[in-house]
Order: sequence, then C-alpha cells, then structure tokens
Amino acid sequence: MGQWFILFKKECMESWRNYKWLWMPSVFLILGLMQPITTYYLPDILATAGELPEGSEISIPIPPAPDVIAATFGQFSQIGILVLVLASMGIVAGERASGTASMILARPVSRFSFISAKWAAMLLLTWLSYLVGYAGSWYYTFLLIGEVEATNAIGAFFVYGLWLTFAVTLTVFFSTILKNAGIVAFLSIGSLLVISALSHTLTKLLAWSPGRLSVHASSIVSTGEGADHFFLALSVSIGIIIVLLILAYYLFKQKELVE
Amino acid sequence: MDLNWALIAPVIILEFILMIVALVDVIKSDDTNGPKWLWVLVILFIGFLGPILYFVIGRKR
Repeated sequence: MGQWFILFKKECMESWRNYKWLWMPSVFLILGLMQPITTYYLPDILATAGELPEGSEISIPIPPAPDVIAATFGQFSQIGILVLVLASMGIVAGERASGTASMILARPVSRFSFISAKWAAMLLLTWLSYLVGYAGSWYYTFLLIGEVEATNAIGAFFVYGLWLTFAVTLTVFFSTILKNAGIVAFLSIGSLLVISALSHTLTKLLAWSPGRLSVHASSIVSTGEGADHFFLALSVSIGIIIVLLILAYYLFKQKELVE
Repeated sequence: MDLNWALIAPVIILEFILMIVALVDVIKSDDTNGPKWLWVLVILFIGFLGPILYFVIGRKR
C-alpha cells in the first residue's frame, strides 16, 4: 500500500507539472457554465444574428431546467471526452516511449500497482474536473433557468461520471498496450464514438452498453429514474471497467516479458 | 441585448488565466514541438482550445 501511494503521488505531481490540474477543471467549468448561459441568451442571440423578416415574433421557449443539465452532458460527451482522452493518452505509452517506465520498473515495483496507481490518479483528476464543471452548470442553471431536484441532480452526476470513468479506463487500456500516444487517442476516441452512436440507435440490442449511461443520466435528472434496463447497464459498465483494468495489467506484464 | 456581465465574467477570467499560463510557459520554454511563434498565435487566437492544444501537444517533456 505504501508503495502504491508513492506511485499515486508521483503521478499526481506529474499531472501538476503538465498543468493538467489547471486546464482540465477549467475546460469542464467553461463547458458547464456556457451551456446555461447560451440556453438563456439563445432568443437574444438569434434576434441579433438571424435575418428574420421585420416584425416576426420569435418565441423560443426556454427549456425546463433538467433539460439544460442533460444538454451539459452532451457538451461533456464531446469536448469533455476529447479532453479526457488527450490528457490520458500518454499515461503509460508516453512513459514507455521516454524510458521512464523501464526505469521505475527496474526496481521491485508491482506491475499492478504501477498501472492501477496511474489509473486512480487520472480518475481523481477526472472526477474533480467533472465535479467542478457539473456544479457550475447546476448553479448557473439554477440562477438563469430554474431549480433541479437535488437528489436527481446528484444521482445523474454519479451515473454520467461512470461513463467518463469508462472512457478514461479505455484510454488507459489502449495506452498500456500501444506505444504511440497518437494512435491511442485515435483508437480511444474512435471506439468511444462508435460505442456511443451504436448504443443510442440499437437501444434494445445494446441495453447493457456503457454507452447507454448518458441516456440514463439524462432520464434521472428529469424524472428521478433511469430509462429501461438501467441497473443492467450500470452493473455491466462497472464490470467492463474492472475487466479492462485487469486485462491492461496482464497484457502489460506479458508485453514486458516479450521485450 | 442585455448581457449580465457578472455571470459571464467567470468564463472570461478562466479563459484569460489559461491563456496567460500557456503564454508564460511557451515564452519560458527552451523548445516546443513546432515553431514557438506559431504556438503563441495558436494560444492567442484559437479560443480556449488554443492553450489546451499547447499543453497537450505543444510542450516538450
């Protein structure tokens, strides 16, 4: 445990040196604040920018508050995921390319500690950034649009956070088995896009998919309950995250023996 | 349009902080991936994604 914690702290320090503790929360906060702001000012923006005939009434109903939170999830799913993948693509691959990994692993360090400490440090950063952005969005939605039931908002926070956790775990997995960070980013974003798109269209066939979590989170924030097969998707997602982590560890260990 | 600047100020301040930190880092650094002047332009003119791009791919370890 002591050794694990040293690796974990080293990883957090590394993120600090790369300014990740600054820019990751900033991106999520900017995204979170801008969603309620643009929703609120959309009628004004259209009135100034749109070329509508003289005298035409513009009536765009302001959406209910939970829909604004759901739209924030949409923002997080695009730029948010992109940022998470870019931040974690080099987490193992970069260290192997630069030789830092072999230096650390020359000492008696458990391979599982090595991978899991990196994974946990990245997740801490992810959840903190996401928390800051989500809280900002919730607060601005409250100021500009209306109240959201607190238990719903908190429930949705954790469910959507699991999707982000899955995204980070998948990127860490690719980062462990591949050496080139660019290819890691490409594969991670590609597969996350495919998983998300397929889960949104083949709703019955892929009811278990982690890609459904954003749908459940949006449903929880407005109704308090997940969509159909919520617990199935929840448990399968947790299962896949654990399997990916263990698989990353085994493949990492084997790859090392080969090299 | 009647903008409430008190609400928008935090976003502008955040983007400003990102830009300043990235600029200071790019000026202090010995070498970057690609020409330095290009990174200065990217940081200054591509919204809040400019500084992020610099932090992710511009900095040399």
